[in-house]
Amino acid sequence: MNKAVFKTIGLVLAALLVAMLFFLPMLGHYGNDSTLFTVTLLLASVGTAISWNLTGGFTGYVDFGHAVWWGIGAYTTGVLMSNESEWIPQQWPLVPALIVSMFFTALVANLVGRLTMRLSGPYFSIAMLGFFVFFREVVRVVGPLTNRGIGLTIKPVINRPLWYYITLIFVLFLVYLSWWLRRTRFGASLIAIREDEIGAEMRGIDTTRNKVMVFTLSGAITGLLGGMWAYQNTFLDPDIAFVEVRTIDAVMGTMLGGLGTVAGPIIGMVFLFVLRELLWTQESLLQTHLIVQGLLLGAVVLYLPKGLMGLVRGEVAFLDRFRERSSTFDGMESAVLEAQESSISDSENEHPNDPVAMHPTWDGRTS
Amino acid sequence: MTRVLEASGIVRRFGGLTAVGGVDIHVDAGEMVGLIGPNGSGKTTLFDCLSRVQTIDEGSIMLNGTDISKMQPHQVAHIGLSRTFQVLRVYRELTVLENMELSVQWGDISLLSSFRKPTKETTERADRLIDFLLLSRLRDQQASSLSGGQRRLLELGMALMSDPSIVLLDEAMSGVNPSLVEQIKDRIRILNQEQGVSFLLVEHDIRFVKDLCDRVVVLNYGEKLAEGAPDEIMENEAVIEAYFGDDGTEGAGDAGN
Repeated sequence: MNKAVFKTIGLVLAALLVAMLFFLPMLGHYGNDSTLFTVTLLLASVGTAISWNLTGGFTGYVDFGHAVWWGIGAYTTGVLMSNESEWIPQQWPLVPALIVSMFFTALVANLVGRLTMRLSGPYFSIAMLGFFVFFREVVRVVGPLTNRGIGLTIKPVINRPLWYYITLIFVLFLVYLSWWLRRTRFGASLIAIREDEIGAEMRGIDTTRNKVMVFTLSGAITGLLGGMWAYQNTFLDPDIAFVEVRTIDAVMGTMLGGLGTVAGPIIGMVFLFVLRELLWTQESLLQTHLIVQGLLLGAVVLYLPKGLMGLVRGEVAFLDRFRERSSTFDGMESAVLEAQESSISDSENEHPNDPVAMHPTWDGRTS
Repeated sequence: MTRVLEASGIVRRFGGLTAVGGVDIHVDAGEMVGLIGPNGSGKTTLFDCLSRVQTIDEGSIMLNGTDISKMQPHQVAHIGLSRTFQVLRVYRELTVLENMELSVQWGDISLLSSFRKPTKETTERADRLIDFLLLSRLRDQQASSLSGGQRRLLELGMALMSDPSIVLLDEAMSGVNPSLVEQIKDRIRILNQEQGVSFLLVEHDIRFVKDLCDRVVVLNYGEKLAEGAPDEIMENEAVIEAYFGDDGTEGAGDAGN
């Protein structure tokens, strides 16, 4: 498909989706309390996947403990807004509590990032899994602050539509942030780190600084989403605040949509969410819907490594393999064509009208 | 003559193996120095040490009078040492221009600047280099669509973006078709003779080294075996023995060149 047409269709669909989301609370039966709660959770999951994609997709550091930031953000909001914490019994208002949650999570992420972002590949992933377990247990142990494993209750002040719109606007902002970041030199440096870290260093990029920066940003976003969830949920304990499935969802959604792309986490999470709803509401699949999801992820990794975005762009692993096999049969012909192409391109470069002839030196001076 | 790079007593060990054992090497301003030696003689390890990609166990490295022995590679890149790699390191997903712009300009190192779009000066500089390296028509194409030789030129351009005083070229001609070899050689010569950029280059093609270099350093088993003008080196008995073996029949794989 032509790139411009593909882009236009994508933008039109995105605009329709956003319009639909904006009008959802006004749709009577469809915009009821339960639907809004569910869609708000979906939006928060999309936000988490976007933030995971910053480290896992753009930078290539696959974080298996990402849900720890959600848990820390949720607990910070819980401790500040609940009166069940012995050390901080005052009940903070919502906005300052959320701001503190975001900055506190960012601080912890920054410290953890300084330690773990030195590791590479599976060592980083496993270290993050370790930190996830560590912080979950810390929350249980620091009893006077977190009310032990019993949990914290936040006084409900629920205005579901308002809460829905706040989450929607925040997630739209995250989509923009991710898009904008990818287009800055900082974003390009993250891609460079993912593709070749030593090469990036040698090109003058402070890879350690940029990795810790993006990790901190990713932690701050998920921390804030965790805080927002805690407020909406009105109750939290370590087992529901620190849940591995949140990381698995973020990884799965991003991979489904397209790792390291801006639209990937959004498309993937929405697809995953709709699929899950369709599967578990089927009586026959009630016990097995998670198996189907697991198989789906395996199939995506094997056959659609670039996710649904790759599928739309025609980048499909088994099709590529088929093309490779076909090209082997035409090996000789291709080699001849390539040689011809190469000689044409070289002679083009030597053309007397080449701009180089007019710019013989690279600093603009003429020799 | 001003000394751009001076490394003294460089030692690099991997467990019980000494890959580089006390090598002294220097490059003066505007000089082009070749570093040759049989496979496994420690050339790339020495390059890695000089560019700080690897730490050194002993010795010191001075760049334009500054001790860089304990610096990070990106810091070294900012103060005037740039390099290319034996295995190409261009970013396939980025366009030619983006690859160039990514390579930070000297002095443009603040975090804030990396959140802005590349400055007009950076883009102009990248464009001039793209023109100079004969890649103008590929400017907006993804690096993945470039041929091996074109990617070598792009990598050279990326190395030049930081306005380096010295460039370390690690087998810049590897896998490049002969017509492009001449182009690359030509560009390097212009950079050296007209812009005064110093080069230290590892190359297996002896003719290339002979054509371009003012001086050649030969490594063998991690130690300096010989040093001198290219013609002297080609006739040096010890060098011939290191390449061909003492019975003159055993090749090191590079002898054909």
